Amino acid sequence: MDIRIPRLGEGADSGTIVSILVKEGDVVRKDQTVVELENEKAVAPIPASDGGKVIKLLVKVGDKVSVGQAILTLEGGAASPAASQQSAPARAASPVPSAPAAPSAPSAPVSVPAPASGDYQYESKTGLPPPASPTIRRMAADLGIDLRRVRGSEHGGRIVLSDLRAYIQGLQQAAVSAAPSAPAAAKTAAPAPAESVDFSKWGPVTKKPLSSLRQKIAQKMSESWQAIPHVTQFDEADITSLLALRKKHVAAYEKKGAKLTVTGFILKAVVRALQKHPSFNSSLDEAAQELVLKQYYHLGVAVDTESGLIVPVLKDVDKKSLLEISKDLETLAEKTRSRKVGIDDLKGGSFTVSNLGGIGGTFFTPIVNRPEVAILGVGRGVVRPTAVDGKVELRTMLPLGLSYDHRVIDGADGARFIREIVTSLESFGEDQVKI
Amino acid sequence: MKPIETEIVVVGGGPGGYAAAFYAADRGKKVILVEQDKRLGGVCLNRGCIPSKAYLHATKLIQEARESAHRGIAYGEPKIDVAKLRAWKEASLDKLAQGIAGLAQKRSVQVMQGRGHFEDSQTLRVETAEGQRFIRYQQAIIAVGSKPSMPAAFDLGNKRVMTSTEALDVEDVPEDLLVVGGGYIGMELGTVYATLGSRVVVVEAMPAILAGADPDLVRPVQRFAEKNFKEVRLGVKVLKMATSGKKIQVTMEIEGKKIDEYYDRVLVSIGRTPNCKDLGLKNTKVAVDEKGFIRVDSQQRTADPNIFAIGDVVGGMMLAHKAAKEARVAVDVIAGDHHEFKDVVIPAVVFTEPEVAWCGMTEAEARQKGIDVKISRFPWGASGRALSSDRTDGLTKLIVDPETERILGVGIVGHGAGELISEGVLAIEMGATVRDLAEAVHPHPTLSETLMECAEAFYGYATHTYTGRKTEA
Ligand SMILES: Cc1cc2nc3c(=O)[nH]c(=O)nc-3n(C[C@H](O)[C@H](O)[C@H](O)COP(=O)(O)OP(=O)(O)OC[C@H]3O[C@@H](n4cnc5c(N)ncnc54)[C@H](O)[C@@H]3O)c2cc1C
Repeated sequence: MDIRIPRLGEGADSGTIVSILVKEGDVVRKDQTVVELENEKAVAPIPASDGGKVIKLLVKVGDKVSVGQAILTLEGGAASPAASQQSAPARAASPVPSAPAAPSAPSAPVSVPAPASGDYQYESKTGLPPPASPTIRRMAADLGIDLRRVRGSEHGGRIVLSDLRAYIQGLQQAAVSAAPSAPAAAKTAAPAPAESVDFSKWGPVTKKPLSSLRQKIAQKMSESWQAIPHVTQFDEADITSLLALRKKHVAAYEKKGAKLTVTGFILKAVVRALQKHPSFNSSLDEAAQELVLKQYYHLGVAVDTESGLIVPVLKDVDKKSLLEISKDLETLAEKTRSRKVGIDDLKGGSFTVSNLGGIGGTFFTPIVNRPEVAILGVGRGVVRPTAVDGKVELRTMLPLGLSYDHRVIDGADGARFIREIVTSLESFGEDQVKI
Repeated sequence: MKPIETEIVVVGGGPGGYAAAFYAADRGKKVILVEQDKRLGGVCLNRGCIPSKAYLHATKLIQEARESAHRGIAYGEPKIDVAKLRAWKEASLDKLAQGIAGLAQKRSVQVMQGRGHFEDSQTLRVETAEGQRFIRYQQAIIAVGSKPSMPAAFDLGNKRVMTSTEALDVEDVPEDLLVVGGGYIGMELGTVYATLGSRVVVVEAMPAILAGADPDLVRPVQRFAEKNFKEVRLGVKVLKMATSGKKIQVTMEIEGKKIDEYYDRVLVSIGRTPNCKDLGLKNTKVAVDEKGFIRVDSQQRTADPNIFAIGDVVGGMMLAHKAAKEARVAVDVIAGDHHEFKDVVIPAVVFTEPEVAWCGMTEAEARQKGIDVKISRFPWGASGRALSSDRTDGLTKLIVDPETERILGVGIVGHGAGELISEGVLAIEMGATVRDLAEAVHPHPTLSETLMECAEAFYGYATHTYTGRKTEA
């Protein structure tokens, strides 16, 4: 039998087929919409006047049809109960959850009480991301949040700011309850504090609370030590002629109110080496996985103060003469010792030098001052019989230890860098010293 | 000569390029904008969106005056001065271009006039009137756009065979005009010429005009063309052309038969080709696809870490507002912010008679991908505003996810559809549902009401149309 266009109402006796909702082979129920018809006044759904299997479509989208015209042919027909039975398996074959899925559906929320919002996963039948305004989507992208895991509270599952906030709070709670020790340890970068021991059992002790500076140093040192795979490369520089140069010019510097020190020479040599090996003047951006190469040379100089180690930063060392460096070093060290350095004086370093030569000791392994990638430790020069051009001479040898971040710098470059410094120190030109 | 140093160089001063340059400057970057033409604005301003809309606006009046007669207000035949029409168009373009140049200056964007060519990943050579300049940049944004495709078989070197560029410099009104390609450019310009008095024949190889738009939205345009053009031939292929005196002889294949016809002018509007040749891309790591479009990721990065690309030259929807959005993405990424061209709703508008506009998912796309959707339609015959302005040749439709009632797509055909579609864009971008649209009061009597009523029709209670569906509780 044929399904025809029924009477549509006053004045409407024809229209255009705008969509066909069934195809040949489908089984339709009585009163199921089979096509949609558009006319001047409305779009009307056209129901099937009977049920059955569609054996032929007689119209296509765009066709003009009028009342009484046949639009499709049904097989058999009239037998509506059979038809509706037939339609059931046909529909079950499609991914619509019908009978078999039904029993499990109500039980699901009972067995899975959805403790954290982290378990939610948006299912998209349309292939589109979950509904949310551009602002919310941008915010989620900035925070690295996958909106498909956020439950939307508004009509249609739309995600709004409060949903995002609730999700983030859920994440935080989950993180806190998950492993209380592990993340905490990672944060402070310190191993779990050792148990307190009663040392007074073995003799008298005094207890002194850690100053905040000491606490800071402790924290920074552990962080650097744990985060950076350290390698320390040693070498010695023959500074006999450098010391002679210093002796010759020290008085002239003094007249200008500056103290000519070995540290000044070392800073000059370091800048030259940094210019030739830019990776030593860099920082590793772990989040972006980028090496940030600095085009400035701000050197940190470790200063021993009464309350502990402080590392003020000498800015733009590459642009300064030895005289300027010497002057600046002295004022900076003075300011540091009297604890008058400003926060700006402590920031922005790109490499650090720690000279313990004034105190003594030879080689040591300094800890890299993160986020810098290398540090030079200088010990006290030792007068030693040394072979020079096949003859044994007494020379002053300066012990150097270069620690670096092995993630950024390879061993060969470490050796090249320290050789560069040694060569500079051994061949320091008088023109650079003279004022 | 010492190269000029800059943070960002933008190559191409179209709606992608100047938007990128301005935004980068607004974000504090040092920017040089390189454009080979005297006038900024690119295709869009000089030989695309703006001039085509200027002509459509000017000629629309002719159409309206004619239609007015049956309402009892009749005008005489219009006198058309083509030279004056062209001069008016040029004047408006000048004004716009000056505006853009002024904005560049206010932002201290250095505009360099000349052709750009990449020497390597960080150097652009520019051929200026005063000789070569070298620009050393940290990041480059390529926005060189596209040009009309012209197959060799049609390229006779005869100015009677035009692309959109020449057609927009209306020289005369040809008696017989053939438009090859029934896309939006062909249909828009066909409308301009038909209204000016040409007998227009449109030939389209595909079975429908305006590919990409849903058939129900195209139908009113098709009807207009059938009435006002001489003919619209679908599924017909143009094989070749030849010069024949003052005419162009065109050979086409209709249902297997070859026929020859003669036209005064031919407009070839069959697509656009990216401007990648002679750009020196070989000297960089930038990669292009088989069709010559530059490959970019969702952050507009090319395969070269120092170079981004935006606009027509990367393909996709070749529209000015897409280019401008990509400009924002590229600059934000360069500035170190997170931004992606992802899930962005780009509306398409065709300025034919009547206008067609759509955004988000189309019905055809949903059907093709097998996505279950519900369609709600509101024919404009039921709109008081449409009736009172004699423009019932319209339809508003919503493409809806039946489960969540989220609006997935909006399609409109009818007078002013281009202005109406933005509400659809906002609705989809906001993740709005049909309910949201139905609940928002729209002013009466306006065409924008059709969106609200279409939403109401989804639930079966639109006042001015009867769907036969019952509202569910
Ligand atoms: C007839 C017509 C009508 C249109 N109507 C619309 C519309 O209504 N709406 C819409 O959104 N879009 C419309 N478009 C499309 C729109 O014009 C383009 O999508 C848009 O211009 C692309 O912008 P763009 O910045 O990528 O490139 P373009 O606008 O193509 O600009 C590229 C610029 O780069 C310059 N250039 C190229 N190579 C070099 C080089 N080596 N050195 C220096 N400069 C160079 C070119 O001179 C040009 O100015 C229309 C197009 C046409 C042809």
